Order: sequence, then C-alpha cells, then structure tokens
Amino acid sequence: MRRFSNQISISLVTFCLSVLGASYAYGAQAQPVPIPEDQSINPQINITGVGVGTAGFEKSNEVPSGKGKLDFNDSALQVGGAERLFENGAVGSFGLGWLTTDDSTRGTGNQFFLHQAFVDYQSETFEVLIGRSDNPTAHLVDFPTLRGDDLITLTNPMNPFSNGKNVEEHRYSNVASLTTNQHLKYFENIHAQHLINSVDPNADVGMNSFGITFQYLGEPGLESFELFPSWGLGFERITENSKSSSGLNEFYFGGTMSLNSSVVNHLELGFQDILSWGSDLNSLSSATDSFEADSNSVAASVRHLHSPFGRPAYQLALTTAYKNYSKVSDANSLGVALTGVKRLGHGFDVVAQYESQWRTAALAAVQSPGLGLEQKAEFGFAFNFDATFNDHIAPRRSLLNQRHEYISN
Amino acid sequence: MVKKPAGETSPEITRRDFMSLATVGGAALGTGFVLAQSQAAAALPQASKTAGHAASPEGWANAFHPAATIPLYPPRQAPKAGEKIHEFDFELGVSVHEIVPGIKIHAFTYNKSYPGPEIRVPEGDWVLVNFTNRTSEFHTIHWHGIVLANEMDGVPNGTQWGVGRDQTFKYLFRAQPAGTHFYHCHNMTNLHVQAGMFGALVIEPKEDLIQRVFPHKREYTLLLSEVDTVMVEKQMEEMLRMMSVMDKMNESPKAMREMNGQMMGWFTNKRAFLDAVKSGYIPPYVASNIGRVSSPKFNFFMINGKSYPMTDELRIRSGENIRIRLVGAGAMTHFMHLHGHDFWHVAQDGTPLLSPVRLNTIPVYPGSTSDIIVQGTNPGMWHFHDHSDLASTNNGLFPGGMMTMLMYEDAAEHGVKVPEIVQVNS
Repeated sequence: MRRFSNQISISLVTFCLSVLGASYAYGAQAQPVPIPEDQSINPQINITGVGVGTAGFEKSNEVPSGKGKLDFNDSALQVGGAERLFENGAVGSFGLGWLTTDDSTRGTGNQFFLHQAFVDYQSETFEVLIGRSDNPTAHLVDFPTLRGDDLITLTNPMNPFSNGKNVEEHRYSNVASLTTNQHLKYFENIHAQHLINSVDPNADVGMNSFGITFQYLGEPGLESFELFPSWGLGFERITENSKSSSGLNEFYFGGTMSLNSSVVNHLELGFQDILSWGSDLNSLSSATDSFEADSNSVAASVRHLHSPFGRPAYQLALTTAYKNYSKVSDANSLGVALTGVKRLGHGFDVVAQYESQWRTAALAAVQSPGLGLEQKAEFGFAFNFDATFNDHIAPRRSLLNQRHEYISN
Repeated sequence: MVKKPAGETSPEITRRDFMSLATVGGAALGTGFVLAQSQAAAALPQASKTAGHAASPEGWANAFHPAATIPLYPPRQAPKAGEKIHEFDFELGVSVHEIVPGIKIHAFTYNKSYPGPEIRVPEGDWVLVNFTNRTSEFHTIHWHGIVLANEMDGVPNGTQWGVGRDQTFKYLFRAQPAGTHFYHCHNMTNLHVQAGMFGALVIEPKEDLIQRVFPHKREYTLLLSEVDTVMVEKQMEEMLRMMSVMDKMNESPKAMREMNGQMMGWFTNKRAFLDAVKSGYIPPYVASNIGRVSSPKFNFFMINGKSYPMTDELRIRSGENIRIRLVGAGAMTHFMHLHGHDFWHVAQDGTPLLSPVRLNTIPVYPGSTSDIIVQGTNPGMWHFHDHSDLASTNNGLFPGGMMTMLMYEDAAEHGVKVPEIVQVNS
C-alpha cells in the first residue's frame, strides 16, 4: 500500500513538473498551440536533404544562345516530426520543406519553393494528409532523370493555373487526401486540391481539383523479382481553369516492370500515359494554354542498376516521352534524357545527364520561344541523406508488417 | 593403441562421490537439520544466522574434486535400446510478442512462445529436438552448458550449417550435466536472442542435493533478458528482406548464379576476401559505413519476456522454501535484489556450489545461471528486481523492467495489508 501511494505521489509530482515545464518552455515553441504539449516527450525527428550541383552546356529557354551553365535547382531540405499516438497504433507526423527553383539559379525572384508543409495521421488501414505536399497525380511513376522536374511537361499531369515560370507548381499542391489500403499493398486515394494559381495571384485559394487514384506497391526490397512491382491509375477532375471554361479531366496510368530478376543487374521499365480532355482550346497563346489544352502524353524509361555484391554501384537510364495535342495543330513534343549515376559513397554520387526536348512550332512558341530544340548536357554531384533522431517509429510498409501482424513501432 | 576416452572413467568417480554425498545428506535429514516447512526461521542453523554462508558442513558437497567436470556419460555415445528419449518439436516462426500493453515487437518464436518452451528432463535421459525453421533466415539452437557431441552444439558454420527455411534439424543429446541451463540461437545471436530465441533447459538430477537440504515444492525459472525494440524491428526487417531476396534467387537458376556468400559477407578464406575487395567489395566496417549501425540501446528489460507490471509474481507462504532459477539469457549483467530477505545462492551454471552463499543481491551474468533458495521468513509483498536501476524502467521510465514481487499468500494472516498491490500484479 505504501509503495503504491509513493508511486502516485511521484506521478503527481512528475505531472506537476511537466505542466510547469511546459509553461516555462512555452516561449520556445514555434507557434502557440491549442494545448501545450508535454515537453518531456520527444518526437522522432527526421531531416532529409538532397543537394544537386552540376556544370554543363545548355541551350534552352533560359539560355537561348547556348552557354555553359551552373545549376543547383531541385536541391531540397525537409524536416519532419513524428509521434506514436495513444490508440490504434497510429502515428501523427508533420513535414516542412523547401527546394531551390529555377529562379535560384538566376538569383532573383523566388529562390525557394515551399514544397512540403503538411500534417499527417497514419494508422494501419488509412492515412489522412492535409497541407502542401506532393500533387497526388504527379508521382505515380518517378522517372529516373537527374532532377524531378526534368522533362516535366511530358511526364507529369499539368497544372492549368500555372504561368509556366515555376515548374514546381505542377508537382506540388495544397492537398487534403485520404488513403486507404489493403495489406499495405493496394492503396486507394481520394483527394481534393488547390492547384497553385500563378496566372492570377489574386484568385481565390479554394479547392479547384478533385480526384481518385489506385496504386499497387509490391513487397519492398523485392522489386527485382516481381514482374510489375508497382502500377496504378487515376482520374482527376479540375473543376475550373484559368479561362473559366467548364473544367478539365485527366486520366493517367503507369507503373514499372521488372525486366530481369537480378539483384546484381536490375533492369526496369517505367511506363506512363496521361490523357487530358475537356478543354475548348484549339490554339495556344501562352504557356498556361499548353498546360490546359487536350493532350496525350506517353513516357517510358529503361533503368539499369548495377549492384555488385548487392551494393548499388552505378545506374544508367534512358527516359523518353512524347506528347501531342488533339485539338491544336502543329503542337507536339518529344523529349529524351540519358542519365548516368555512379555511387561514390553512401548518398554521394557523381552524375551526368544529356537532355533534349523537341517541340513543333505552335508549342515551341509558348514554351520555348525561338527554340525548336532545347538541349542540356551536365555533369556534377548529388548528395542525399536521411537522418533520424530519437528513432522509434519503423516504416509502415515493411515486410514484417505486410507478412505478419501489423504493429506501429 | 587406442586411447580410452576420458569420459568413460567418469561415471565411476562421479557415482562414488555421489554415494558419499547421499550418505551425508541422509544424515542431515536424520538430524532434522533442514528448514522445516512451517518453522523456517526457527529451524535455521545458528551458524548460518551469524556467519552469512556455509549452510551445512554436514549436508553439503563441500569437497573439491578435480574430476568433477568429466562428463557422466560419454558425449559421443549413441542411444541404446531401452534408454529413454524425450522428443520435442520446435517450430520457429515470426510472430508478434507483447512485452507490456502498448509495446509489441516482431519476434522469432519457438512454438509461438517468447521465450521458448522450457525443456525439463531427468539427468541421463536423451533429448531429441526436431527443430523446423519456418522463417527465411538461418537459425540454429545452441544448448548452452550441455556436454554433448560436437555436431549437436548448434554453432552455424562451425558445427553445422544454419537451418534454412522449411528445413528440420534433429538435435539429439543426453541430458547432462544436471542443473539449470538454457538454449538459444547461435546465429546473429545479438539480434536473434533479443528477438526471442532462447528458453530454459532444466536437467533434474537423480538425487537433488538442493532439494534435500532445502526442501521445496514450488520453484520458478526466470529468464532475464533485454531488448532494443527499435533495433530488433529494423534488423529483423533488414534480415527478412535479405533472406527473402535469397529465397527468390533460389527459385531462379539465373539468379542463383549471382548468389554467393560474399553478398552476406562470407568468404571461404582470406584470399577470397582480398580478391573480392579488389573487385569492388566494400567491407561493412570501413569508414564509409560508419554511422550506419550503432550498439543496442536496450529500452525494455524482461523476466520471461515480460516487463513489470506484466511480470509474473513469485508466490510463497511463511515457512516455505522456494527455488528460483535465474538465467542470464541476454547481453547484460543483472543484479537481482530481493527486499526484506537474505537468500541462499546454492548453484551456479547448474552445479551446486561447494558452499551456499548468503546474499540479498546476486549478479546474473550473460550466459550464466544461478539458483537461489528463498525462505519464507518475512511475510509481505516484496520487490525482487534488477538493482541496476536502468533495468527497472520501461522505455526509461520507472517503474518497470526487470521487476517482480515476492508475494506471501498468507500475508494478510500476519497482519500485512497490501490488497492493491495484489490486484495490480494479479
């Protein structure tokens, strides 16, 4: 009895100290919150970063005359926190991140783009995310180019509210999504978005796009041994657009196919098709029009990853994509990227890429004025890291969770 | 000339010693020296009350004999007709183990039990364990402290190949020496033991000296271990992925050609290792890998796979002796301290001590076992816990961890009022 009483006393003291501690430390919080948290509970902290720095020759919309160019766009830094919740094995988390834009190379304008600012709730069977994050339509297949925005007008569904100056507006959006799953392999996503409107900065920020996706993801780490380790499809309804027409529709599907059941020489095919319809446009007068007009994009890639002794050593990849506009004449585009990566150490690679995109006149006039063919050859380094502090939350989509009983830690 | 195995001479020596012990023990019983069930304190010899050790010069094997470690039975002997064989089926799988409510880990479990089932057999009988592995990882069972044939020792790539998926290995050995022992996986031991691959192996002597001097009807086996739940989850996932890849490669002749021990860091000899390094193999210990792996940070400390308050209590009555078999199954030393009592340390690594030692705290080292006798002399509800305070926590918070209670069933009869604690622990 006495021992138990002592425990209660200690618990009360601890509780009081916690409350006092929270009060004293309140000024250290980034922002006031509805209920001050117990400062003694440390969340798991993740910091991830990607640095890409290249030098090369470029003849493009940004360097029309063709010059050597130094490029460090698409470098990113993201910080996140995660905590286990009280019940149901759930995990709550948030993420906040920026990446460098094309303007950062220029040195004026928006040097950084806020690409992640979300709060997420995750349990075994579903996940809810609200905030700025990946556009749910944009990452069905991540093609093996050097940067995520390479060949983006051919490989991503387009944002018809973008003025074309910042390609990140196609990849990221304000999004609320609910994703359910079965066995952590089959994922159904329903979402609402606000696609960033850079055409009219004064436009409202209400939801302007809604969609559903379905995706299959095979067992992690065993992609070489499954014929189609990932595939999916989706439909997006953009309820309005910059021209205030009746709205747009997008249907897309894609996936990866393993061509060689090998750990040492992994060979993979990526494929994707994006069909867009519902626009009245039959001519292009701006870059925005080219993001809105009815079109069909097909893309494919072949990726060879060589991993002697099971450790990645180098990767060679060829990505090609073609787009045509069904209602606009003389508006087609073909893109190619040949990418090589050699691993020098954990997370540190030497990289090289040749990229070109050919456009017919109507399309070149709005996307790359005066240039029917854009070309870029670059060479440099890439560094990525993923550091976890106070590590206590294991990845949800693990083999253990998939094959055996799900647990949250 | 054929040498006679040393072990063949041992039975005579041991039997002779044993007979002398029996004679002495019988004398001790005859004098009523041992602790009576109802009058424990009164029955304690005056010497032990004051000296702190040396329970009984008359009733204990207090003579050193250099031949005592020679096996009673030749280890390489095969079973003969008529000899008793105890057969056990152990099937290893992955299952979820709950340490305390809210804390679960994926574990390697023998017969879905964390720790594995206790094996208890009479000394000299045979033990046959049919060990079937249903996981993708390689495993073995090492019979810790057992004197057996080399091929049965369970050391992967040493005395046997690791047991692969759906393979069965038959471990056959004679139960010797008597006493408290345990078993565990000997492949990636640090991970696999944390993940649950251990259990008690008790070999009952034909004549139990400890029972004779300290008569007891109840005994408890406490397997002490600890776990870094984050490390176990991560490394089990990594192992599962690696071995699943191996399974897939086994299905494809083309992929099998790529598979070799080098992918797992195994080399046939020094030359093969150096050649691999020249060909691009990067050893896991080099500077470029620093920071990838850290030592375990144990956050749960367990008795029989459970942390307080989910540990099972030890029950006793006034005047009763109970025997506690402590097994250091993990990687840390645990300093088990009993409140309100002294106890007798009577056996170490299965063998009775030359002289029992009176203690209130006993260190239990990794890989060792210690038998203690607790005498019911002080009614109440008493803590029994690791006095290395880190181990009395769950995830760093007290109370928890390697703690249980010695509970007198007749505490109320002696005026001790502790009903709440009973409810918590029951």
